Amino acid sequence: MSTLRKRMRATTIVAGVGVVALLVAGCARGGDEGGGSSEGPADASPGITDTEITLGITTPLSGATAGPGTCTVAGITAYFGARNAEGGIEFGDGKTRTVKINALDDGYDPQKAAANFEQLKGSVFAMTSGLGTPTNRSWREAATADEVPQVLIQTGDPIFSNQQESPWSLGFVPIYQNEGAAFGELLASSSGEHKVAILAQNDDYGEGYVEGFKEAIEGADNIEIVKELTYEATDTTVDAQLTELAGSGADVFFNAMSITPLVISSLQKAQQLNWLPSWFLPSNTSSPGAILEPGGASAFPGVYTVAFAQSASAPTFAESEEGATFLSDLAEYADYPDVPAFPHCVWSYQIGATLEQVFQKMTEPTRDDFMAQLRSISDFVAPLMLEGTAVDTTIDGDPAVSSVIVQKYNGKGYATAEDFG
Amino acid sequence: MSAATAFFSRTWVRWAVVGVIAVVLIVLPLIFDAPTNSTLARIGVFAVAVLGLNVVMGYTGQVSLGQIFFLGLGAYVTAYGVNEGWNIVLVFILAILLPAVVGLLVALAAARLGGLAIAMVTIALPIVGVPLAKRLSEFTGGSQGTSARFSSAPEWTGLYDDQWQLYVVIAIPAAVFVLTRNLVRGKFGRAFAIVKENEAVASSMGISPYRYKVLAFTIASAIGGVAGFLYMVVIQYTSPETLAFHHSITLLASMVIGGAASILGSLIGGAYYVLVPQLTNIIDPNLTAVLQGAILLLVLFILPGGIVSLPRLWRRSRGGRGLGSPVAAGAQTTGIATIEGTRASHAGDYASPVGSAPAVPPVTGPESGPTDKSPSPESPEKRQDT
Repeated sequence: MSTLRKRMRATTIVAGVGVVALLVAGCARGGDEGGGSSEGPADASPGITDTEITLGITTPLSGATAGPGTCTVAGITAYFGARNAEGGIEFGDGKTRTVKINALDDGYDPQKAAANFEQLKGSVFAMTSGLGTPTNRSWREAATADEVPQVLIQTGDPIFSNQQESPWSLGFVPIYQNEGAAFGELLASSSGEHKVAILAQNDDYGEGYVEGFKEAIEGADNIEIVKELTYEATDTTVDAQLTELAGSGADVFFNAMSITPLVISSLQKAQQLNWLPSWFLPSNTSSPGAILEPGGASAFPGVYTVAFAQSASAPTFAESEEGATFLSDLAEYADYPDVPAFPHCVWSYQIGATLEQVFQKMTEPTRDDFMAQLRSISDFVAPLMLEGTAVDTTIDGDPAVSSVIVQKYNGKGYATAEDFG
Repeated sequence: MSAATAFFSRTWVRWAVVGVIAVVLIVLPLIFDAPTNSTLARIGVFAVAVLGLNVVMGYTGQVSLGQIFFLGLGAYVTAYGVNEGWNIVLVFILAILLPAVVGLLVALAAARLGGLAIAMVTIALPIVGVPLAKRLSEFTGGSQGTSARFSSAPEWTGLYDDQWQLYVVIAIPAAVFVLTRNLVRGKFGRAFAIVKENEAVASSMGISPYRYKVLAFTIASAIGGVAGFLYMVVIQYTSPETLAFHHSITLLASMVIGGAASILGSLIGGAYYVLVPQLTNIIDPNLTAVLQGAILLLVLFILPGGIVSLPRLWRRSRGGRGLGSPVAAGAQTTGIATIEGTRASHAGDYASPVGSAPAVPPVTGPESGPTDKSPSPESPEKRQDT
């Protein structure tokens, strides 16, 4: 009997707690969601009021990629800091709003990036500017499902610019294919005959560059690929590949390499082998100070790369009006007093300028209208863009900036290359 | 206090407590908003990963720095299976089996090596894993990673996705935690503890240290695989970044912070892994790394036995209970080696709130990992004397 009674007592307690808890649950979540779902289409989306709009960023602010990651926040904060100081931005619906940035650190960890998105999505109007392929991929589908804009993010992964796959996403920077293609086109339009040797990193990065390059030279009779080799991102030397490529007698070397020390040692090794072709290097491994000078790149007839934005480290940058404004905004509004060593600060600044264009076109304070207007920007020359490039969001499959300009190394910095040779 | 202990030791009260916890776990997902649910779900994922690490490190005393590899492997198996359209139950079983087999193979070789050599072998796992995951792009999606969305709430439940995911991440870890608790409290747990304490003694008792080390490592790998499956339930995306080496170190830190060789400590460790980055983000997103380091130091300084030892500290500050307090004091100053030693002497009786001195000075000093800065095996006994 007593056992039964004890069991009864335990059951009663559990059942009692259960009933109370369920009642509480029913009230809590139901009420919340009810309020949210009853919104009509014209009602404002989260993160926007009549006086303010909030943008969210998840980006690496700690760890190995913290340098560029910090820039992805600093540039856009500087841009909107300056606009806010002028009183705000007049939106297409006639209201003037200030822009607030809510940035969180993900340490380049996809799991944390997804968590940051979960945390921000209810309070920000749109997610933007964040750096990294895996970190943006980890919540791309969640953003699509929740219909939260994931726009003008800084990754060269083409998936974000495919409207079918990512209806609520859009990349900002050129995809790898765009860069490879730009160099291919320059080469194909040259008058001479050229033999090309290719060395590519054995992953989507290297493949993207080679794919773009090959598409661009397709049908060009004067270009022949004489040798194509790959290496692994974990390799510590590519001397063997370079020796083999040098033997091919190529006069153009297309080097789709993302590892800084390997690029330097490649430049040196080629000189040791007395193989002096013209080089192509990707935009992220072509820094004059960090790579070309230590590699002794002046020995080669030409080192080419691509760019769409001015480099803040160029000697003439601070002298131009745009450059000076950029640097002073960065120091004043983003607490970034140094001249940025990473291009991401300039890119993030340009993202701010592009978003301003979208805001000016928005007639409804909704995410739907934002996405529609976002995809309608064309021929917008953002601050600090190189001549010949522009923001164009209207082409499906391409990021906001897909036009790049081939640049040639002149011993100190880069200058636009009109033709090859 | 004794009245309270007597009250809680009554069977019906215990069942009532279990029942109330169960009800709370069932109801909470319905109450919380989506971000909270998703945070709780991620805590569940990493609590399981920390639990696996605890089986091999906390209970058996073998340093493993490769736990994240098994999580990553489980996640990749899950992603591949789901994308190939396999039955989800089969995928779940494979996500446990494959990491277990890999763990077994590694352990067969590594467990022959003593002490730190095992740590070196396990370091190699995530270091090899990342480039491997990038290269085997047919299976892994290369460096861009792969996503698999299979954990949306079924229509008939009428639940939101985050609620459904949290239920999955409550149900599976609950089973894993109960199974592991039974494991470490039973025959195997006692064997693990003896192997951890002194391999020679274990051998003399007819317990093969090699066999039990391999067993512990394999179980830890399988639990890592479960964590990987759950990772895909919650995050729905994996990339080579998932199994980067530094996450292994964070897991290790979480285990120590939660409390080594403790079931509850694993849960706390999971919470630490997930919540501290969020907390530091709220304080200042530009200082997360510094703040995380400061929190780690602070917790280890105040609670070297992990957060799970907090009740013990509290009890001691209230005057203590005979034998319990001096050991707790020893634990305070000598770090996890002592705590592990204390636990080991109980042969798996981890739940005992009252510590006692180890029968044999713990030989785990040098093995208790890079986090233990004061590996002095004899100090527990000295403390005991004071």
